[in-house]
Formats: sequence, C-alpha cells, structure tokens
Amino acid sequence: MPELKVKGVTIIETFAEAFPMVGTRVIITAPTLEWAMISARTMTGFATSVIACGAEGGIERTLSRKETPDGRPGVAVLLFTMNTDKLQTQLRNRVGQCVLTSPGSACFAGLEGEKSLKLGASLRFFGDGWQMSKVIGGRRYWRIPVMGGEFVCEDKTGLTKKAVGGGNLLVLGKSHEAVLAACTRAVKAMAEIPDVITPFPGGIVRSGSKVGSQYKGQIASTNDAYAPSLKGAVKSDLALNVEAVLEIVIDGLSPEAISEAMHAGIHAIAKGGAREGVTHITAGNYGGNLGPHHFHLKEIVG
Amino acid sequence: MSALTFELKHTPDQRLDLSPLVPATLAGLNRKEIEALPIGTTRTKLTVGDAFKVKGKDAERLRFDGTDDRCDNIGAGLDGGAIFVDGDAGASLGAKMKAGRIGVTGGAGVLACASMAGGEITVRRDVGEQACGVAFGQTMGMKGGFVTIGGDTGALLGERMRRGLVVVGGKAGDYAGGRMIAGTLLLRRGAGRYAGYGCRRGSLIFLEKPKDILPTFSDSGVMEFDYLRILEKWLHEQGVRIRLNARARRLMGDMAVLGKGEMLILV
Repeated sequence: MPELKVKGVTIIETFAEAFPMVGTRVIITAPTLEWAMISARTMTGFATSVIACGAEGGIERTLSRKETPDGRPGVAVLLFTMNTDKLQTQLRNRVGQCVLTSPGSACFAGLEGEKSLKLGASLRFFGDGWQMSKVIGGRRYWRIPVMGGEFVCEDKTGLTKKAVGGGNLLVLGKSHEAVLAACTRAVKAMAEIPDVITPFPGGIVRSGSKVGSQYKGQIASTNDAYAPSLKGAVKSDLALNVEAVLEIVIDGLSPEAISEAMHAGIHAIAKGGAREGVTHITAGNYGGNLGPHHFHLKEIVG
Repeated sequence: MSALTFELKHTPDQRLDLSPLVPATLAGLNRKEIEALPIGTTRTKLTVGDAFKVKGKDAERLRFDGTDDRCDNIGAGLDGGAIFVDGDAGASLGAKMKAGRIGVTGGAGVLACASMAGGEITVRRDVGEQACGVAFGQTMGMKGGFVTIGGDTGALLGERMRRGLVVVGGKAGDYAGGRMIAGTLLLRRGAGRYAGYGCRRGSLIFLEKPKDILPTFSDSGVMEFDYLRILEKWLHEQGVRIRLNARARRLMGDMAVLGKGEMLILV
C-alpha cells in the first residue's frame, strides 16, 4: 500500500484513541476583552490534564459584544472532566476562585446541555444573604454584592456527556524549530474550530506520556518510544533523523468537532511541506482497547 | 387558517365574563357550540352568540374586535396560544395566565395580569388598579411572565408580586410595588406616592427620579449594575426599545420590613 503523504509529510496509518468526557461551556464577560481574557486564562491556567489538574480546560474563542448576554466583551471557556461530580466541583472552584475574584467580571451559561451544572446556584452563598436572584427571559441570574460592585452569575449552565477528550496528533520532525512552528500553526488553525480546545501550554504538549512507570506510585511516565534521545536504547518508534516530537491534544464537545479540528490541524502542519523539516504526522493510541473513540488519520486527512 | 374572531355586536348591558374564550376551552368546538357558551354575569342569560359575531376557525389564535371595558376576564387562565384584542379589556385581563401571549390595542381595567404565572401580555394604553397584583382567591400577585404597559397604571401595581417583569411606559400610580415579594418593575415615567411600600425583595427601576421616596428606603449610592445591561439587551431582543445605561443610584428597602428590595434610579 502506498504511503499517504500530504506535501511530502508522511501521514502514518494509525488512529488517535480518545475517551468519553463530560464537558461544559461558560461565558465570561468583563469591562474589556483584556480583563475577560485574564479571568478566563486564570480559570483555565492549571487545567492541562485530568491526570493531576482535576480538569482539562481552555479558551474556546473570544466573543463580541453582540454575542454576550450583557453586551460586554467576552470569552467562551470549555471545561472537561471524567464525570459529572468532578466537573461540578471543578466548575464551582474555578469560577469561584478565578472569575468571581476577577475585576468587573460576570459569568454566564454557554451550553444548553441535556443536564445542568450549578453555577451561580452555588456561588450565590458568597453573598451571605445579600445576593439577589433575577429571572430575565426564563433564565435566572444571581447578583452577588462584592467589593468591586456586583458579580452577576447565571444560575446554571449545561453539560454534555458526549464530550471527547484525548484527540491528538503527534508531529515528528528533523528539528525542534520546525516541529514547533508547524504545531503552533496547527493550534492556531484549530482555534478557529468551534467546540474544541487544546488544553496544554499554547496548545502543545512536549512530554507525551505512557501509562505506568518503573517507579511505584508514578502513574504516568515519559513516552520513551517517542523520546528522540532514547532512540538507541529503547524500542523506538522514531527514525534516526527525527530530532523532536510534539503533540497536540484536543478536547471537544463532540467527536465530530475533534475530527474537524484534527483535519484542520493536519493540513496546517503539512502546510510548510517536508522542506520545512516535518517528517511524519502520527497519533497516539493504546491499541484501541481503552478508548471507544478512534480517529483514523487516513479518514481525517481526506 | 384565520384567527377565531369575536366581534362585539353592540355595547353589552351587563358585564361579560369571557374566561371561557381561551384556546383550551374552544379547541374542538364548532361554531354553534361556541356561540352557545354562557358569558353573562347577571340573571339575564347571555351567550357568546348574543354578544359577538363569531368568525374564523383557528382556536389557537383568538381575536377580539371592538371590545370595551365591560369585557372581563379576557385570557384569564390562558395556558398557551395567542389572543389579540383590538379594543379595550375589562377587569382581570390575563389573570392567573400560565403561558401564551395577549396583546391589547386599548387599555385594561382593574386586576390586569393579576397573579399571572407565565406568558406575555402587552397593553398599549392605561391599566387600572392592582395590575399584576393579587387575583381573587390568591395570596400572591404576579408569579412570572412579562408585561408591557404602554400608558399609566392605577394604584398598587405589582402588589405582592413574586416574580416576573413589568415595563410601564407611562406613570405608575400610588403604592407601585406595594408589599412586593420579588420581581421587577421598570417604570419609565416614575410612580405616585409610597412606591415600594412594604416590599421585602424585588426591584423597582426608575428611568426618571421619583418625586416621592419613602423614608424607609436607604441610599446605597451610585454604581454600575451589570444586571441592567442584561435586562436592556433582553428587552431589545423583545422589541422594547429602552436605554437603561448601567449606572444607577441604589436605595434599599423597605427597611420597615425585610429591607432586601431595591430602587434603582438611573442617573
């Protein structure tokens, strides 16, 4: 079978193995877009992986004044965990500590889900009895008096159990510089796709992991098969000329959104062609037995 | 299918109880059955056919033409569908209504929208006393929904109101928001005396500074309210062109009772 190539970059015939997650969206507004971004970044700052952060989160996109309930600039944030209880806890803690505290902020539901999560319904107690409930157009908002004025927070937001976490692309190349440039381009392209986030720093993870370790209590450890410096010592998946591998992890509200993001990502990576230094695009999986969602690169490229 | 239309033949010599003329009751009835429905309120028997010329078929969309202030209970207990009134409405317009829409080109009498729980009512001109207040046999006033009144209101607008939003284009009478439990009154041209008397919670929003403020409302000063931005944007989406601006003076009260209500006076 001939190798699948896009602009000289080899697409390995494999698949990304992804897992079901529960996800939600909230909208954060502020007097300026800058302050909405500060609030959203703070809320999603330590949210790269459920392994140790409790949740995976990121900024989906910015919102114009026309798109927000209060007509101020806003940011849409997505948050994912493995189950509803954890998502509820993470949402309460993150909005409570990072959005409620942020100057001039307000927080609104961003998803009409099959079920709902408490948002203002739990944060209202910060008002110590002085909070006020207001129902406008069938939606309940809480006005919580704070030092900066009033924190307005919608009562509930929706959740979806159809979310998917762990869609991924592994980018192999002849130099770190080339791989980083290609991945940066891909993250930018994926940012245009609705319903997805790339939760790692700048959307890119440089320390892909395998399950388990030789050390007791270490639940994840370095993906030695993709560590270029170990090519001579372990059963490596890398050709000798590969100097660096970077990964883009994608979480989305639906499998379709992940596919769309991976499609945009692959083409953005390959845009520079093999001449740029990117040699292969592949994806991480566990043999297909752990995660129910398999995103085959061959199908996605098409 | 054209709206089921009731055209008033002549000024009735008694008050009419039009509460049976709602989609839920009329669905499945033929014209003869509709015309036989009793709507009189005295010992003199009066049916729909005696007072109205009935036209059209669609029982989900009702239309009243040429009604006057003796036509009571239009849309009372409405639970869906739409009613358009080209004329005035009598007492208890849309009282205890749960869902649906009512539009009135004229004014309405006492107890308009009283104890309504949901839906939308628009009255283009004035309404009488106790609008959005407590309907007969009820303990609470308006419990939900959205009301727009183009003209002035009588006294006790939103009395013991529990939830919902009322926008008044004209001036509200005395005791607006009296004994209010919660909810929102938005008053474009102010109110008479004793606004918010005995209110526990709820918001009275004034576009113009009221002349007379109860001494049991205490000043919290001027600040920005993001809530007003949300309200303004939602009202725009409903076709209510209003500019609220987020800055307002907040007075809290009525301190003679719970004191968790507010007046927001736009600055």
